[in-house]
Amino acid sequence: MPRPADSPPIYDAPSERAGPWWRVHRVEDTLLSLVLAAMVLLPVLEIALRSTLSVGVANAAALVQHGVLLVGMLGAAVAAREGRLLSIAGLGRWLPERFRWVHRAAAGGLAMAVTGVLASAAWDFVAVEREGGNLLAYGVPVWWVEAVMPAGFALIALRLWIRSGERLADRALSLAVAAGLLGMAPLSTATPVVALLALAVLLGAPVFVVLGGVALWLFAGDDLPLAAIPLNHYQLTVNPSLPAIPLFTLAGYFLAEGGAPARLIRVFRALFGRFRGGAALVTVLLTAFFTSFTGASGVTILALGGLLMPLLQGVRYPARAGIGLITSGCSLGVLIPPALPLILYAIIARQPIETMLLAAVVPAAVMTTMLVLLGIWRQPRDTAPTAFDAAEALAALKAARWELAIPLVTFGGLASGLVTPTETAALTALYAFIVEVLIYRDLSLTRDVPRVMAECGLLVGGIILILGMALGFTNYLIDAQIADQVSEWVQASIASPWVFLLALNGLLLLVGAFMDIYSAIIVVTPLIVPIGLAFGVHPVHLGVIFLANMELGFLTPPVGMNLFFASYRFGKPIGEVARAVLPALAVLAVGVLLITYIPAFSMWLPGVLLR
Amino acid sequence: LRLGTLAPKNSLYHRALLEMGEAWRVAQGDGSKLIVFTDGAQGGESDTVKRMRIGQLNGGLLSVVGLREIDPSVSALQTLPLMFRSWDEVDHVREQLRPAMEQRFFDKGYVVLSWGDAGWVRFFSQQPAAAPEDFKSMKMFTWAGEPEQLEVMKALGYQPVSLETADILPALQTGLIEVVPATPYYALAAQFNGPAPYMLELNWAPIVGALVVTRKAWERMSPAGQAALREAARVAGEKMRAQARTEVDEAVAAMVKRGLKVTRPNAEQMAAWQALAESVYPQIRGRLVPAETFDEVTRLLAEYRARNQ
Ligand code: NA
Ligand code: NA
Repeated sequence: MPRPADSPPIYDAPSERAGPWWRVHRVEDTLLSLVLAAMVLLPVLEIALRSTLSVGVANAAALVQHGVLLVGMLGAAVAAREGRLLSIAGLGRWLPERFRWVHRAAAGGLAMAVTGVLASAAWDFVAVEREGGNLLAYGVPVWWVEAVMPAGFALIALRLWIRSGERLADRALSLAVAAGLLGMAPLSTATPVVALLALAVLLGAPVFVVLGGVALWLFAGDDLPLAAIPLNHYQLTVNPSLPAIPLFTLAGYFLAEGGAPARLIRVFRALFGRFRGGAALVTVLLTAFFTSFTGASGVTILALGGLLMPLLQGVRYPARAGIGLITSGCSLGVLIPPALPLILYAIIARQPIETMLLAAVVPAAVMTTMLVLLGIWRQPRDTAPTAFDAAEALAALKAARWELAIPLVTFGGLASGLVTPTETAALTALYAFIVEVLIYRDLSLTRDVPRVMAECGLLVGGIILILGMALGFTNYLIDAQIADQVSEWVQASIASPWVFLLALNGLLLLVGAFMDIYSAIIVVTPLIVPIGLAFGVHPVHLGVIFLANMELGFLTPPVGMNLFFASYRFGKPIGEVARAVLPALAVLAVGVLLITYIPAFSMWLPGVLLR
Repeated sequence: LRLGTLAPKNSLYHRALLEMGEAWRVAQGDGSKLIVFTDGAQGGESDTVKRMRIGQLNGGLLSVVGLREIDPSVSALQTLPLMFRSWDEVDHVREQLRPAMEQRFFDKGYVVLSWGDAGWVRFFSQQPAAAPEDFKSMKMFTWAGEPEQLEVMKALGYQPVSLETADILPALQTGLIEVVPATPYYALAAQFNGPAPYMLELNWAPIVGALVVTRKAWERMSPAGQAALREAARVAGEKMRAQARTEVDEAVAAMVKRGLKVTRPNAEQMAAWQALAESVYPQIRGRLVPAETFDEVTRLLAEYRARNQ
């Protein structure tokens, strides 16, 4: 995920008791937490009712799906309030202090203009839906829930305006910029929209503004209804598989904010500490495991970086190599089930989630092994190994037994055939809540839980907003039949599947360097799946290749998200962090090639387990 | 003219749409253009209807799942289990209902160009099963987009599990579901016959569809374009209906070659099925199918059967 725009990325309580509006903000955060809680409890209730009484909650699945729409818009509004909508670059950061107000007003004005048009397009969509008159459940019309889109975009626009400057004069300037842009020839092809948006992204405008702005401009240029963009956002959020994303993320947040990191480090230390390179092994396994749940490798760096660095330094691990190891370890989680990118790819490529998750197991193990070997090799030889302490190992295992059982809940659920992927995610979130709040009592129900849930909602909201806008862009590629043309062109100009795979790796490396992983999945997947099929590459294998390449993307400038987070966490310049991950990058590139040219890594396990 | 459908690229349905569109394009002339989005590229049936509402698409080839979002009266043709015994009965009832249904679609902003069919829904199961009782211990797929269907299944005494269509195959493989109702053509394409190799030869319900365009798009066409489109759509509809009558047997034959075992219910089991289906009609009437449409269908069928005895 890209670097949050202004304030520190996590662990600052949203809505402190400050400012004239804090009570309103508190209500907003509570609402967000309640919707998330309902999304956890509804599927669990449905499982219970289904297995005991053979009845269920009326339209439970649809209710949970619309919960994603609510969490997405509410979370994005909270993120806008906190100035934490995801943005990529911050050229403004290097501007002299006294010019910053100009770039804030310019970027803010542009963002407001785009968000305002989105609000109006969403309103058009809701008006049409209202005439359609479909019901969600219990007599509630669907458009009541859909109305959260125009309201949410309007609120985001308002908050972009408030954040566009400190002084009233600055805000007046940003308002003038927005009005000027909207007053300019209606979004026609003549307006230099793309240049403006590129400038905006350099100035630090949120990612969703750029994607949404480009989509609006393309649809307007082809005389297509702008309401198609909110419709795509709606279509994405109510996808039956999408609830798994906020639910697994919530589970990850409960674990990360509870005492899980410390307890798990103790276990791994007790088990592997006596080996040379044990600390490196612990680092890679833990960072990978955590990212697979939070789906946000940045969160892992922030949560675990401070715990793992002392561990590595304790065995005299070189500081730079340590930073490299933590930063690259976090990107491994992309391929480890139940990582959010895996689920998202399965949704977009229309592959069964179970197959996708199983397919990633062996390739993830390959990538992890490569990095572990690198980590062990960099360990200084002259450190004396500590003796294995059986009592400590047992005590550590016992202390962390509830957290160690999490994979059983998740994969047991998926493999048992008793529950769907969404229900598995809800069970995992509930389990993580019970473990951290009721068993270990690391999180207080009244003090911490609302904060953690609001924080999770904020992150998920920011991501879902980007996903929805990216789907609008993708829909244009399909609508203008560009996807078909690209597919035909590639098939005409490349003959050998081997060459195709190599070209694919090169292309994906480029994509990974310039796009964030979620937009990349949504935009690129529909383009490459049909081409892959034509060359005999199974969509599931293709997904594994895709995501393995994206792991590298997290570590390459300019848009290497892990580099940003590590730079922030360890207080080192980006350039130094980038050099620190170079060895890992090289090793992982070899892993990508192995995964690419040996399809059996991906296809064997689902083949065996799913008959 | 921008049309959407879930039918696969290069399928008979796609080719029929392209031929029809070409006939229209020639008659309409001056810069008219046809785009057909296949394979649900613009989303599922419900999404296709939404895109027609906002004007991104001008029309589509939809089954009753999408059509009833426009007007629920069409449900009578697809949602009633064991109501129809043959395509002749479906055709007869449809012909009688057509003027009223097409008028209702017109009032809601859509022009029905022609009607098409896509085969009979049958049960594919992991274990052999013939009588209604045999299925009660098995978990049965229902589509997540159709909560009403779930209610019907529960009313029938079954254990429905609502899933997305993409989840059917893995759910069969892991045992989350044990029975899938599907047309043989679809079951063959999606390879359900692997994990669910038993098919009950019982024509549970027909899959009925129609080709519609929005009234906005229709009114923008020249009279020559409208006439050409109507005629070409009629031909396309006939082709699709003829195909529906043969593809059930062809698909079953293809699956039998791959190990599908066909179970035929005996007279006693048939009677049990019929009784079961009729027992849920009261719950369908007025909820899934408007009451007056339901009554008209039963009346038309009774007349038709009396006449043809
Ligand atoms: Na699902
Ligand atoms: Na990158």
